[in-house]
Amino acid sequence: MTERRIGVYVCNCGTNIANVVDCDAVAEAAQSLPGVAVSRSYKYMCSNPGQEMIVQDIREEGLDRVVVAACSPRMHEPTFRRAAEMAGLNPYLVQMANIREQCSWVHDPGETATDKAKDLVRAAVYRAACHEPLERMAVEMCPDTLVIGGGIAGMSAALELADAGNRVYLVERTASLGGNVARVDLTAPYLDSARDMIVDRVTRVVEHPNVDVLLESELERLDGFVGNFKATLVRRSSGEAPPRQVVDVGSVVVCTGYKEFDAARVTHFGYGKLPDVITSFEFEQMLKQGRIELKDGRLPQYVAIVHCVGSRSEEFHGYCSRVCCMTALKYAHEVKSALPKAYVSDVYVDMHAFGKGCEDFYRRSAEVKTLFLMYGKGERPVVRRADPGDDCEMLLTVDEQLSGELIELPADLIILMVGMEPRDDAGQVAHLVNISQDKDGWFIESHPKLDPVATTTDGVYIAGACQSPKDIPDSVAQARAAAARILGKISRGKLEIDAMYAEVDEDLCSGCRVCNEICPYSAIEFDEEKRRSHVISALCKACGACVATCPSAAIKARHFTDAQIFAEITGVLA
Amino acid sequence: MAIRANPKLIEELEPYGAEDVMKCYHCGNCSAVCPFSADPYVFPRKPMRYLQMGLEDKLKGQLDPWLCYYCGECSDQCPREAEPGETMMSLRRWLTSKYDWTGISRLFYRSWRWELGAIVLVAILTAIGFTLFGMSQGSIAHYDGPDAFLPSASIHIFDWVLAGVLLTFLLSNAARMWWFTMGRDKDLPTTLGSYITSAWMLPAHFFTQVRYSKCEHKRSWATHLALMLSYVTMLVLIMFFLTRMASGPEIDWSVHVAGYFATAGLLLGTALFLRNRVKRSSAQYRHSHESDWIFLVLILIVATTGILQHILHRSGLDVAANVAYIVHLSLVVPMLALEVPFSKWSHLAYRPLAMYLAQVRATALARARSGEATALRPGAERTQAHAA
Ligand code: SF4
Ligand code: SF4
Repeated sequence: MTERRIGVYVCNCGTNIANVVDCDAVAEAAQSLPGVAVSRSYKYMCSNPGQEMIVQDIREEGLDRVVVAACSPRMHEPTFRRAAEMAGLNPYLVQMANIREQCSWVHDPGETATDKAKDLVRAAVYRAACHEPLERMAVEMCPDTLVIGGGIAGMSAALELADAGNRVYLVERTASLGGNVARVDLTAPYLDSARDMIVDRVTRVVEHPNVDVLLESELERLDGFVGNFKATLVRRSSGEAPPRQVVDVGSVVVCTGYKEFDAARVTHFGYGKLPDVITSFEFEQMLKQGRIELKDGRLPQYVAIVHCVGSRSEEFHGYCSRVCCMTALKYAHEVKSALPKAYVSDVYVDMHAFGKGCEDFYRRSAEVKTLFLMYGKGERPVVRRADPGDDCEMLLTVDEQLSGELIELPADLIILMVGMEPRDDAGQVAHLVNISQDKDGWFIESHPKLDPVATTTDGVYIAGACQSPKDIPDSVAQARAAAARILGKISRGKLEIDAMYAEVDEDLCSGCRVCNEICPYSAIEFDEEKRRSHVISALCKACGACVATCPSAAIKARHFTDAQIFAEITGVLA
Repeated sequence: MAIRANPKLIEELEPYGAEDVMKCYHCGNCSAVCPFSADPYVFPRKPMRYLQMGLEDKLKGQLDPWLCYYCGECSDQCPREAEPGETMMSLRRWLTSKYDWTGISRLFYRSWRWELGAIVLVAILTAIGFTLFGMSQGSIAHYDGPDAFLPSASIHIFDWVLAGVLLTFLLSNAARMWWFTMGRDKDLPTTLGSYITSAWMLPAHFFTQVRYSKCEHKRSWATHLALMLSYVTMLVLIMFFLTRMASGPEIDWSVHVAGYFATAGLLLGTALFLRNRVKRSSAQYRHSHESDWIFLVLILIVATTGILQHILHRSGLDVAANVAYIVHLSLVVPMLALEVPFSKWSHLAYRPLAMYLAQVRATALARARSGEATALRPGAERTQAHAA
């Protein structure tokens, strides 16, 4: 090993570390480690003077490696890497030893804790000696985008991107745009027309010079990586030889939406057997046709609306479908205005009125004299045909929670508020664009709070109800958020890619292809001509799975080389 | 057994004043804040729930509405403006019409035209009757003495007959109230003993309205009590001392002083309540049903004509005094014969009765519960034996 000049910095983290670990002793012990030129203990390494100390030492002492013993690298590695960079040192030559979360916070004060800190620092020093300077990569960003799904989310994303001057390919599987919103009459809580909203969007999308609308089409294949995807699109309508086209796109937005829960799966409501038990979507159809009536053409006197059909139940879906409560209240208003003499009952579990204007809407629904009945979660009202003498068609038995009574509710028309489910082909879509699904089948975002529209695959975004049940405003917000993320990348022009990724040594690779399957990010390609595997560095997340798997030891993970890891082990055990 | 909901019942209650009950979303604030709500009578939320769902039979069996004095705390606290206090009031009106087997009460509460029309009719008939009677008896020029137009001995007899008639109606309705709330409940282990030991509550609540005094605003209780005591005083004077009251023209201080106090109480009390209702000064005066106005105005006029004939008589204006007397009587009769058994005034019987029955019922329920506990004990012992 060539002679190194390593600087070691032991942070006290105020008292966080110093109360348990004797930081001065750790710094002193590090002094005698091979290659260590400077070793210091300091109150707050992350503070400006702390960083300044590193910069100065690199410049004046000619340090070529830096070890900071402090908190978790998740916290401050970027800080110290930046400091090194400022002093002209490659940032990958910095190594951290976590003596806070992994030492002082989990041990009692004393010599043992200090000894462990010394071990951790030694490991870091040994490892740092083997670090290599690495360069980050830059790739081109293609400004065109593929949007999958022509519902309210897809159209919103497409318009946002197209308005900013970028080409968008909007792929819709059915023969028309609009998605599920196009099946709805009015929207809650302001009772605006869904049709007006959709017609406006569709017209704009269709007429937009920057949007290519591909109806009855699907994505068949997606190759490449962020900024440089190649999407194969296929038109399904035309028989045997469907026309294909391959387009270059920099980003993909998945807006495939949801499908409604099949009410026939719940037997208690008699859906499919009793003619006047219908689903919310069937009722929307009735509303759009402008006449609320029973199958035999009579007008209903008693209308009952049942919430949470398929949602919030152990048997079907545990989650809340989020839009049905307010849609049910919307029905109460619509029934009352169409049939002022009708009695509307709303049979719910909990009233989820969280959206803007929704609590007020709930109040107004009570003011139009809707009868609310609460049933217990896990229980389910039962529908039966009424007896001949009754003035109603059916009776709904509810174990009513607000009174504690078992109630029989008269009904002529029963509307089941069916929940949302992932589409049947959600799995296929997820596989095509390389994103994951949660236990219910919804697509998973990169971070549930801080990164809600990105996914673990760079350049692939999700928006709308394909991510989880969502109302129109949330879907639109997500769509536009995804567009904003993409526009940000487009405006930078080039994309920087982390320097840590795996590399295949083509001389050692035997072409066995084991790694192709193992990579969770589908980042490894097989070059048929050379018969060698090849890592697409932009897709690689440096997880190391392939490195461990390769039987020929042909794959090296940059910044996690065998030499570096063995040095670290040697250090900790020395 | 499931109970059939009747979404139409709420429409039936609307004419009784329950207009906002559907706004309630059962947060329970009202029952929490009510000074009178306590196990086993938890209100007003629960009766409101029964009403929303139209559980008519449950409502008919409830004593709860009578345990409410309409202090209005609940209506003030309700976040939905569902007016729970007014709902309780409406339920009392509705229950009154349910207890009443003649159907007259229902007619009155559902239409003020009926109530007012009946009052006017009875008033005219009474006026004609007494005028004819007076003319056959004596002379309009004499208020008292042997030639008196309306001799107090005859009026006294008439009063007692009237009292008998209205008591018959009131008591038969009260009996129905007992049947709905207690009698028909076969599972309620009431005993004659508890009916007897709690009987003191009837006069106690009637004369002191002690429960009402638990409301935060003592003013309403005091006014209400004063009005009631004034009325009772007047009633006693008329039923037992009428001859002395009507004698004169000298003032007989031994009876008249009580009469003056009572009259002052009546005039002041009704005037205060009327003022509150006009000004809608607090929750319980915000919604006035037509029956409330009719009732107050009637008492006010009766008291005024009463004192007027008294003054005219003492001033030696016998003809005018006799005319005032006829007017007075023709309003007293409908006030007593119609308002007491069939309208707002019936609460003088139902409210103390309800408090009394509530006590009997609570005792019975407590007994049933402790009985259950004893019934369970042998089983519990067995389980313990097994465990051992
Ligand atoms: S406070 Fe109002 S909304 Fe709440 S339970 Fe009472 S009446 Fe209903
Ligand atoms: S008005 Fe007063 S007594 Fe009656 S229910 Fe409301 S809080 Fe209770």
